[in-house]
Amino acid sequence: MTDKVVRTMLRQCLAVMRREVYYLWRDKGLRNILLAGSVLGLLVFYAIYSAQVLIDIPTAVADLDCSRESRQLTEDFSGAENLKVVAHPGSFAEVEELIRQGQILVGIVIPEHYARDVSLRRQGNLSIIIDGSNMIYATNAANTVLAITGRINARAGIKTLMAGGMHPDQAREAYSSVTFREEPWFNPALNYAYFLVLALALNLWQQCCMLAACQNIIGETGRKSWLQLKAAGVSKLMFFFSKSVVQITVFTLTVLPVYYLSFIVFKLPLACGFWMLFLFTLVFAVALQATGTLVSSFARTAVNSTRFGMIIAVPSFILCGYTWPLEAMPRIVQQVVKVLPQTWFFQGINYLTFKDPGWTFMSPFFSALLVIAAVSYAAAAVIASRS
Amino acid sequence: MEPVVRVTDLVQKRDGTKILDGISLEVYRGECFGLFGPRGAGKTAFLHILAGLDRFSGGNVEVLGCDLRKSEGFKHRLGLVTQDKSLFQDLKAGENLDFLAALKNTGRAGCYRVVEQFQLTDYLNLPVTGLAAGVYQRLALACALLNEPELLLADELFPSIDPLSHHIIAVELKKYLAGGGACILSFNNMDAWARQGFYGGRDDSGGVKGDDSGRINRVGWLEQGLLTICRPGEAAAEWERRVKSFDGQSGEDHA
Repeated sequence: MTDKVVRTMLRQCLAVMRREVYYLWRDKGLRNILLAGSVLGLLVFYAIYSAQVLIDIPTAVADLDCSRESRQLTEDFSGAENLKVVAHPGSFAEVEELIRQGQILVGIVIPEHYARDVSLRRQGNLSIIIDGSNMIYATNAANTVLAITGRINARAGIKTLMAGGMHPDQAREAYSSVTFREEPWFNPALNYAYFLVLALALNLWQQCCMLAACQNIIGETGRKSWLQLKAAGVSKLMFFFSKSVVQITVFTLTVLPVYYLSFIVFKLPLACGFWMLFLFTLVFAVALQATGTLVSSFARTAVNSTRFGMIIAVPSFILCGYTWPLEAMPRIVQQVVKVLPQTWFFQGINYLTFKDPGWTFMSPFFSALLVIAAVSYAAAAVIASRS
Repeated sequence: MEPVVRVTDLVQKRDGTKILDGISLEVYRGECFGLFGPRGAGKTAFLHILAGLDRFSGGNVEVLGCDLRKSEGFKHRLGLVTQDKSLFQDLKAGENLDFLAALKNTGRAGCYRVVEQFQLTDYLNLPVTGLAAGVYQRLALACALLNEPELLLADELFPSIDPLSHHIIAVELKKYLAGGGACILSFNNMDAWARQGFYGGRDDSGGVKGDDSGRINRVGWLEQGLLTICRPGEAAAEWERRVKSFDGQSGEDHA
């Protein structure tokens, strides 16, 4: 290829890129979505999860025994970090009614003769009712109640041993011969903000990017100006390559404010270095743009292309295994979602932000995204050249 | 002399219907060929085939020595003005010229030349969506002539536009043809073209202004997929005859 041809092609590429920048900038709706969509999303999501952990779960304790032991139990529940005792109903039925009305999420019923049964070494049956209609509340409440009941069980056991004549120290030692120490790694406080905020903002970002990418081909071929491009004899490959370079650059730049706010301002965890995260995001931007380009190649109209793009982008976050593990999904779904770049991206982001697993571990993620990009671009090229 | 356009037995089908049914045509350098036909006759389809925009169903088409089935090499020597507004709506007038100059691989000098020719200086910073019809058409022709094409294809070059724009376009078209370029112009309003002496314009006495150069030399009458080639005067006379025959029918109806 002579220098002149290369220079001509370079000039054409630059002209197409400049025009794509104008296009993205002058389309106010698209510009605002790309620039502000994900940042606003991040701010809103951070505000939503600003409590970071669930505390003050409304709880009712029905003390039907009214003994010293039962009052001790009530105090145990009242002092729990995540529970807030808001009612002291007088019967099981009242507890049920409070849960039905949504006034409490945890109901604890200490039965009559609780103190007597414990003293007689009989089983004391505490009823603990948890409102399962909200999974997040229910899980947190269950964990808290489990921790408290564990302590109560241990105390009752030690008392029983002491009542049998064992020295208090021996009794405590006997009960603590096996200790269970919970250590949640990578997110020790099980902080919801750490887990969800960045992922939700990136989900919004990828949807905005998909919105732009799925106009790549049909956005041109569906307009009258396509006649000018065809009449000029411009190489389709050169044309769409140049457009794609601009789109990928814009996608990558628009995520930077999200990362700045997340890691510098909100101090969300970033275990890997910034450049590793940036490179991974860049590769995802390529794969996402390729997927959008593929959609835009077979859609008959720009509106249809947007619809197809959203059909992929919107449920992809649920399907990617971030909030519900892939392994718990049906096998067929596990295989199908692997063709979506979002699956690899969100899984990879989780590893990178919390664990920094290194190149060897991450290389399949990079490879998968690059393969998706290559296949999508190739398919789009075939479809576009035949249309 | 080699023709710039050689069409042999061209067939184009759309949804199973033949819209062009065995058209043959040769157009030579310096010639201005008028393609006439009512709306929906297939003029745009024919021009789009010649511009290499659409594939065709049968026959052979050579433009500027290139077989259209095999090569697109002719496109950088071609200019096209489309019937629909096909300039880039997201760009300003000047940006359209710049962008198309880059795509056609012509320098900035070409832009300055056409801006001057078509008196577009005052409009360069305006979005094309805001241009008046006449200015838009001047810009469209300016874009088509950026690369100094050997063949100009213009689909409805003179829609309802202001007299100044009409004049500027007519003058520049004449210069283009005088420079050895060939053009195929489609139109569907025979009366308007005949009044203008097939764009040369008439003088005060009703005669054709100036010399014959730059006027439509031949007219191809496209109807029901077939192309009948005749002289402009014959086409105008045939049109007049048909109009009169309809006038007569109309009178009978009223009677």
